[in-house]
Amino acid sequence: MDINKEKHKKTNNLLILNGSIVNTEAKNTFKSDIVIENGVISRISKHITAGDFDKSIFKVIDASELIICPGFFDMHVHLREPGSEEEEDIKSGINSAIRGGITSLACMPNTSPVIDEPFLVEYLKMRSCANDYNIFPVAAITRNLEGKDIAEFGLLREAGAAAFSDDGRAVQNSKLMYEIMKYAAQMDVLLILHEEDYSFSEDGVVHEGYFSAAKGLEGISNLSEDIMIARDIILAKKTGARIHFTHLSSADSVNYIRLAKKEGIRVTCDVTPEHFYFNDEYIKDFNTNFKIKPPIRSEYDRKSIIEGIKDGTIDAIASDHAPHIDAEKNISFNEAAFGSIGLETLFKASITKLLKSEKIGLEKIIGLISAAPSEIMGAEKNNIKEGRQANMSIVDINCHEKYTKEMIFSKSKNSAFLNENLYGEVIYTIVNGCLRFINKIKSQGEDFS
Amino acid sequence: MSLKNILDIEELNKTHVLKIIESTGYFKEVLGRDLKKVPALRGKTIINIFYEPSTRTRTSFELAAKRLSADVINFSPSSSSMKKGETELDTIKTILEMKADLAVVRHKDSGFVKYISEHITIPVINAGDGRHAHPTQALLDLFTIYCHFKRMEKIKIAIVGDILNSRVARSDISLFKKMDLEVFTVSPSMLLPEDMSYFDTKNFECIDEIIGQCDVIYMLRMQFERQNKKFYPSVREYNRFFTLDFKRFNNMKEGAILMHPGPVNRGIEIDGRVLDMEDRNLAKIKIGEQVGNGVAVRMALLHYLLSQK
Repeated sequence: MDINKEKHKKTNNLLILNGSIVNTEAKNTFKSDIVIENGVISRISKHITAGDFDKSIFKVIDASELIICPGFFDMHVHLREPGSEEEEDIKSGINSAIRGGITSLACMPNTSPVIDEPFLVEYLKMRSCANDYNIFPVAAITRNLEGKDIAEFGLLREAGAAAFSDDGRAVQNSKLMYEIMKYAAQMDVLLILHEEDYSFSEDGVVHEGYFSAAKGLEGISNLSEDIMIARDIILAKKTGARIHFTHLSSADSVNYIRLAKKEGIRVTCDVTPEHFYFNDEYIKDFNTNFKIKPPIRSEYDRKSIIEGIKDGTIDAIASDHAPHIDAEKNISFNEAAFGSIGLETLFKASITKLLKSEKIGLEKIIGLISAAPSEIMGAEKNNIKEGRQANMSIVDINCHEKYTKEMIFSKSKNSAFLNENLYGEVIYTIVNGCLRFINKIKSQGEDFS
Repeated sequence: MSLKNILDIEELNKTHVLKIIESTGYFKEVLGRDLKKVPALRGKTIINIFYEPSTRTRTSFELAAKRLSADVINFSPSSSSMKKGETELDTIKTILEMKADLAVVRHKDSGFVKYISEHITIPVINAGDGRHAHPTQALLDLFTIYCHFKRMEKIKIAIVGDILNSRVARSDISLFKKMDLEVFTVSPSMLLPEDMSYFDTKNFECIDEIIGQCDVIYMLRMQFERQNKKFYPSVREYNRFFTLDFKRFNNMKEGAILMHPGPVNRGIEIDGRVLDMEDRNLAKIKIGEQVGNGVAVRMALLHYLLSQK
């Protein structure tokens, strides 16, 4: 919108000097300067002289110790608007995302009302535009997420739905799922699947294993996920539907997907940082920030997920940002809501666990949170190239500090990462050509939106 | 050696346990006197907060406090009328403004008592939280075994029944293993946790396989109220493999004892006719003695938590 463009004028002419640019395709990182004019990357070159540019028009960023990444894309976010604005709204969610270096996000339809009508998709697109941000609305697979009637895939897609999901719920009826997949294949739309067989998860609150036994908490078996993943691989093979499994948690699920990919079935998947960072031992003090769905599973599952990331079975990392007010978390474990916020820790947790502990290459990690999810969502692939509008995150990967509530931009503070020593910090975020976030002295950011 | 709360067996070490057992012996002696009261906690106020209905445990705590000359308040909020945790917590904080010195808490949710203890400053005793823990029951059970055998090491004990849903089983197994008893379980597959590595016990599928070898047969209450998924086929199937009937009672090892946390479901865990012989088998059936020992253990714990500075 024009008014916003005017507002951001001073921030869309930038000289970024001496940074290291991550190229996720070529899997390398190279030193270069970047010129951004009117929000568009006009030059990437090692031979840019700052003196050639008018300082009253161009803002100069010294990126000598920093890494320049394509803007992060979080394909699993709960913005809570409309309906639960006390937990998060589109504006606060965008602020939180920008704080986390995220320049695009897909938001899930389990709001109130559920995003199962074209006008609601249009509403989200409009709000995205008004905030000059890249929101990819995900619409419901079934009306009101009830697992009964198929939503209007065609009309919803025309309104701007980027994918379809009943996230938070799973279609239990296999025949219905078969019909959904046939139609999704015909319409060529992406299905994002939260996999959960309710008969195995019913009253469960944690992973079923050693710690559920020790703590007397109702467990959720791996089978809850495994059975549905296996079923839907079978159905995808039969129908040719494009399906994406979100927030994988179980070792066997990773194996089934690995086999499916070998067979050439069109499946992709993501994991959340919580599932590759923590194991179920973290629930031993009944800390409700670790109560998420699917549950944080055993160390064996966690290691299998890391393996899946290393060998390429897992395509992307997404936060499953799930804000909840204090009253829903500061409560007994059984009563507490499921979910952890994650927009602001997506990058940090990935750097801490995957780069620092597991020694996975930086380019691969950045690819998992930028190029890969944008490609799965059918968006223009996030990459830093001349002629493209600038969407980038400029980060420091070596600093580290204890993560605390005071640092959080989101309206809700229910993060599983509180008190963890996390590596990595987002220093600048550029969205659609505008510098939207400057981390002046780590964690003290300016709000540009 | 100072404990602020008694929430879970896991936080007790052997020294704590031995000290509690020793002190329980002293208070048991007090309970045997004509004048069953000592002034140890005169001027102290203890509040029993029971979110879950309980007669036995609450009465036992109340009696323990009164025998120590403390004042007791009983508070039974109905869980249903308080939906959100903040309200529960606010209620508890309000009550504590009335200057109680110690809270005894029971709740239907695992971990709730720990949650309360993290938000209030006075000591808390867990009187049972969900399927998680019931430490005072475990301590009174251990004391009962110790009184009978005068030792703990190498005592063979079979815990029979619903391991999955029982907080008593969880705390008992944890405590007995800590004190070097040999623990076995006897339970059908659907009443065992999926992952048994925490308990790390050998499980038997029928009580007959082990009844002649154990010093203690511990029958758990079938927690029908906590079995939201009823997968066990029937009572008569249970009778066939697990119920302690006359024949099995007679097959118990010489000198062995029978225990149960109460109240017994007659005809399910134990044949009613076996129970009716308790008077003639005082040495063998310890169910009544367990109740008496419960008061002594709770006196020891209240005294322990409130007399340290």
